[in-house]
Amino acid sequence: MTPIVQVTDLRKRYGDIEAVRGISFFVEPGEVFGLLGPNGAGKTTTVEILEGLRKADGGHATVAGVDVFADPAGVKRRIGVQLQSSAFPDNLTARETVRFFAACYDVEVDELALLRQVELEERAGQSQSKLSGGQRQRLSIATALVNQPQILFLDEPTTGLDPQARRNLWELIRSIRARGTTVFLTTHYLDEAEILCDRVAIMEEGDIVALDPPRKLIDDLLARGFTKPVLQQKANLEDVFLDLTGHELHEV
Amino acid sequence: MRQTLRLFALLLRGYVRDRTALFFSLVVPLMLMVIFGYLNLGDFGKVTVAVDDQAKNASSAQFLQILRGVETLQVSEVPTDQALTKLRRTELDMLVVIPSDFVIALARPGQTVPQIVVYGDDARPQQVAVGRQIVSQIIDRLSFAVTQTAPVVAVKEETVQGVRLRYVDFLVPGILGVNIMQLAIFSVAFALVADKQRGVLRRIMATPVRVTSLLTAHVLTRLVIAAGQVAVLLLVALVLFNVTIVGGLAPLVVVALLGTILFLTIGFALAGWATTENQVPAIAQLITLPQFFFSGVFFSKNAAPELIRPVTNVLPLTLLNDALREISVQGASLWDVRTQILGLLIWTALGFILAVRLFRFEKF
Repeated sequence: MTPIVQVTDLRKRYGDIEAVRGISFFVEPGEVFGLLGPNGAGKTTTVEILEGLRKADGGHATVAGVDVFADPAGVKRRIGVQLQSSAFPDNLTARETVRFFAACYDVEVDELALLRQVELEERAGQSQSKLSGGQRQRLSIATALVNQPQILFLDEPTTGLDPQARRNLWELIRSIRARGTTVFLTTHYLDEAEILCDRVAIMEEGDIVALDPPRKLIDDLLARGFTKPVLQQKANLEDVFLDLTGHELHEV
Repeated sequence: MRQTLRLFALLLRGYVRDRTALFFSLVVPLMLMVIFGYLNLGDFGKVTVAVDDQAKNASSAQFLQILRGVETLQVSEVPTDQALTKLRRTELDMLVVIPSDFVIALARPGQTVPQIVVYGDDARPQQVAVGRQIVSQIIDRLSFAVTQTAPVVAVKEETVQGVRLRYVDFLVPGILGVNIMQLAIFSVAFALVADKQRGVLRRIMATPVRVTSLLTAHVLTRLVIAAGQVAVLLLVALVLFNVTIVGGLAPLVVVALLGTILFLTIGFALAGWATTENQVPAIAQLITLPQFFFSGVFFSKNAAPELIRPVTNVLPLTLLNDALREISVQGASLWDVRTQILGLLIWTALGFILAVRLFRFEKF
């Protein structure tokens, strides 16, 4: 199958800092691909180049069959994005927010159906600014789906969310993937990558230092004779928290 | 076009829902007009004069009678000490003290003439000046009557304006102009800088939206709000203050919308330059405040110091106010105010160039 994202020798520098140092990778259609790394590793820069928001200094990239450098607008039409630290226009309801983005893509959508898909149908008439953090992330995903994208880019989608909201979002990402949409996400939460991603690329100082399915990365590590210095607890505080507060959607 | 209209419909809805924005674009202008309309700043009012008649003779009675007959004066008899206290409290404009030796008669050469003392409230110099003038004129006439000489020159007083111009008639176009300026600059600059800071623009620019559609939608939103503002202000002016728009509503609205577009370009330029919301009020005030005072909003543009008048006379708001005022007060047509319109268009072109240079949707 032809990759939906194909990146070859991608480079980007900001002044003296080489943010991306000639990375190459591809993403298969239908998979959940994770770009991992500490803050400042170059994840967001890479993603924003692929989204057509930033210019690269060198290399080559195609997304959904479109050359990103030659036709950023063509890429934008085919992808869905959720940006880090972005916001929605003021004083609109959740439903109007979806309608606003549909207008931006110049497409007609069934706003309520989209909101239902992200479990926000009951919040349709509520001001988007009054939504909780998790609800806003789900709304953000709804706005990213208005153009029925072939690939959805999520930049640190669960940062700042409480454990239930995170799990909720994971469910949503799985359901989106189940419908055949490719998901490209960045995260610095390793548990998230391990649970969600089919394959992960680990970035460090602008380079990809490993790229494989999570299970394989772990097996390789163990094969190298790695043992954890302390015994793994049978449960941790997060398990306690979830046990006490429940796994289901509890957000108000 | 369809995209523009869809975006416009949503932006307008969001704007109308924003109570603060609506307050500043509709309620504040209205308050300004009603307050200044009733204050009647330009109205001279009456000059309140206290008279302390220490002579109590036929001459002083005659003088007092003439004084009371002057329509501009509101005359009362108050002893000097009380009157001075009132003067200090600015409850009086003037005190006229008629000395005990007051008499209207021919004086022998070398004889000292009686002196009328006039105290004035420094806080109301115009009223005092007029009062003094009237007092000296009365004295002159009384003197002429005694000396049997006639004045060598006579003054016939006439007003320049054909129709009597009330202060509200003067005020309404100025209020329209200043509010158009405030709305256009502030609503664009605040909203877009906030959008920029919060990452709204970044998110929007991650979609394939056409920048011209988005821009047009923003401009249309402001034009609708400005039109609403002009309508409300005019309605109040017509109903509450009986203002007549001599030149008709159509040319007035055309000039008002031209002015809105001009100040919108400045708003966009400012929004492009500013990176944080805190910078907006500072620069916006820097742009609007001088025009607030020197562009003939509440009083004549000629109140500006003569030295800077060549500059103040071509400020955008001065041109806008002049055009609005000539249409509304003097019944000018669009052709009559073509100079001002040309000036507005030149400013718009400059503002547009500046906005295009400073504001880039793609950048965020």
